[in-house]
Amino acid sequence: MKDPAMREKSAEKVYYVQRIVTLLSLFFIFFPAMNPARISGLIGRTLSLFTSGISHSSLTSEMGRAFNRGWLSEGSIWILFFGAMTILIGIALCAASACMSLGNLKLKNLGKGFGLGGAVCMCVGLVLIYISYTQLLGSSKPDRVEPSFPAAFFLYVIFAVLLLAASLLIFFLLPKADREDRYEIESKYKLFLMFLPFAMLCFVFAYLPLYGWRYAFFEYSAGGTLSMENFVGFHWFTTLFQNAATRQDILRVLRNTLVMSGLGIATSWLPIAFAIFLNEIKQSRLRRVIQTVTTIPNFISWVLVYAIALAIFSTDGFLNTMFGGDTNYLMNASHMWLKMLLWGTWKGIGWSAIIYIAGISGIDQQLYEAATVDGAGRFQKMWHITVPGLLPTYFVMLLMSIANILSNGMDQYLVFSNARNKEVIEVLDLYVYNLGIQNGIIPLSTVVGMVKSIVSVILLFGANRLSKSIRGESII
Amino acid sequence: MKQAKKTSEAKMERAYAKAHPKKTRLSAGDVVFNIINHAFFLVFTLLCAFPFYFLFINTISDNDMVQKGQIKLLPHGINISNYLAMLNVSDLGQAFLVTIARTVLGTALMVAASALVGYLVTKKEMWHRQFWYRFLVVTMYFNAGTIPWYLNMSMLGLTNHFSAYIIPAVVAPYNIILVKTYIESIPAELEESALIDGAGFFTVFRQITWPLCKPILATIAIFGAVGHWNSYTDSLILMQSSPELKTVQHRLYEYLNQTTNLQSVMSSGGTMATTAMKQALNAKVLKYTISMVTVIPILVVYPFMNRYFEKGIMLGAVKG
Repeated sequence: MKDPAMREKSAEKVYYVQRIVTLLSLFFIFFPAMNPARISGLIGRTLSLFTSGISHSSLTSEMGRAFNRGWLSEGSIWILFFGAMTILIGIALCAASACMSLGNLKLKNLGKGFGLGGAVCMCVGLVLIYISYTQLLGSSKPDRVEPSFPAAFFLYVIFAVLLLAASLLIFFLLPKADREDRYEIESKYKLFLMFLPFAMLCFVFAYLPLYGWRYAFFEYSAGGTLSMENFVGFHWFTTLFQNAATRQDILRVLRNTLVMSGLGIATSWLPIAFAIFLNEIKQSRLRRVIQTVTTIPNFISWVLVYAIALAIFSTDGFLNTMFGGDTNYLMNASHMWLKMLLWGTWKGIGWSAIIYIAGISGIDQQLYEAATVDGAGRFQKMWHITVPGLLPTYFVMLLMSIANILSNGMDQYLVFSNARNKEVIEVLDLYVYNLGIQNGIIPLSTVVGMVKSIVSVILLFGANRLSKSIRGESII
Repeated sequence: MKQAKKTSEAKMERAYAKAHPKKTRLSAGDVVFNIINHAFFLVFTLLCAFPFYFLFINTISDNDMVQKGQIKLLPHGINISNYLAMLNVSDLGQAFLVTIARTVLGTALMVAASALVGYLVTKKEMWHRQFWYRFLVVTMYFNAGTIPWYLNMSMLGLTNHFSAYIIPAVVAPYNIILVKTYIESIPAELEESALIDGAGFFTVFRQITWPLCKPILATIAIFGAVGHWNSYTDSLILMQSSPELKTVQHRLYEYLNQTTNLQSVMSSGGTMATTAMKQALNAKVLKYTISMVTVIPILVVYPFMNRYFEKGIMLGAVKG
């Protein structure tokens, strides 16, 4: 093993171990179930190592009483906190070392120190947590402090030992770099490393929530824990169909969802008409003003739309004061679907029309000239030239709205909902919110959301297929 | 910027000219059509503008008259005391701070990230570029659902924390696609010559790509800012036990739904709040004024930024 090239090659193999273990530990610090710092029942079950290590206040959120009564010394929790923090720092150092290992020999040599330091940090952190645990065991009221040794501790011990061994090996295997060398990384890795933080963010916020689907298979209430004893398999899925009350709810909500989406799809041609007729106005200034004003509602929130609705339609709103009377149009649940459609149209039509206005400018002018020569009238030109010219765009929009048939979003319906119109206004997204967030029935609402997501993805791919076979172009 | 406005107007002009090749004289049918058409658009434009006008005249009029419903089409007894009184609704000020902070920070980070990532995914040298690009883009088409999303946020310790507004929105796949498509439309020679001259990727990005991308970045910035300003469901779901982190829209939603407790809101005011002022501000006016205050930034910014918005929807037709 004297040959430097050979030594570098074998170090390269050890690097794989270091990179994989670092990635795994980076991953596990976000899982509350894998928290080695959860040494007491007083530490929240939803607390991950990451949170334990950066937020002392959430670590101690349930310990106020234990501190006051002297069951627990604040010192030992501080030791625990610093232990968790040291592990985090160690993992961060290991991650830095793993990144540097993609560089040239000079950079690897810089990184090996980081790797060793990181592994040592992790070991120190684990020891600190263990010390804190032994102090907890010696507490005056062990039954109140509920010390429990976290199984995840062993996992982290394995990680730390592996990392320590790997970084030691690397430390001694790696040959020295030339003094004159510069720090360099191959450009493919350099670009990837710049990209990596964003990939991780994307993973954490877009992929990791999928892990929450596991709640659909457990008996769970907020603040509780998931264990195999709570595993209920497909119980919640069958509940959807077997429990009469739930089934009725689902059917009602599905009906509302489909009706509202259906109305939206049925009127989806309106923006085309809007664009075509707006284009018939001669004065360009006027067209510009109309277009600007009619697109404004698209950029205000649904809360503000509701504020406007209140100002115009409530008991002391504009309509009643202007024409006399004291009808509260908003509390009235009749024609709710139509009203929602009208609000949606009011808010969105000007905006949706823009894409068609641009579409008209892309139509070949010779078509119009030829039609005029042939004696076609205004409406004939609209129907036979403009409309067919806009159809491809419309088709894409239509397919997208079919793919989104189950997702009307909850904003609009939440602001307009009240006790009287709940029956007819509650759409799927709002139902999930009410069930899960308001009433805390997490498994069932997860099931509903899960089925909705899966159906939506299937619809989207179906629509895409349809688009491919008809237009030869995909929409996604 | 002037150029952009010109092209936008020219586009509308072209659209009109295309559908109307050289007209000689109007027939009776044309006149009738024009009248009906103009009337329709006049009415619809009024429908879009009037609610804002109505809210506005009510907030600047005499409060007694507002309460009695006497302000219909014109303001009476113009004053701005309602807006001054807003300064004393302390939790509203806090909500504004939170919302402005999230709009500025969130938009800035999102734009910077979209620009950088959009640049990186155009680089063919990147390690497994195609895979990583798909890894981002695929997330637009699925969604774990509200509850798993909420559970995930609480698992990460982001519930009741300001960063929950910012961090999840940093990576926006749709905007990344827009930037990527835009960069691909820029002649590659500019970059290549800089790379040959020995500039690093990051230098090229900062010195060349970033300035060239400014139009598209302005567009995504404006959309991002409007999104941040208008969002309230995240505040509603994530900030359940941190009232100090509620956004303006969330506060407005609460004010609109509570009728009894509004006067007590005023009592939280500072030194400027006189008793008279408190009494003058009745529930209805308070609602109107808060609504107006939340919508004014959009009404003020929108007409100037109109072309960026339009560019946004046009780019939306471009796929990754």
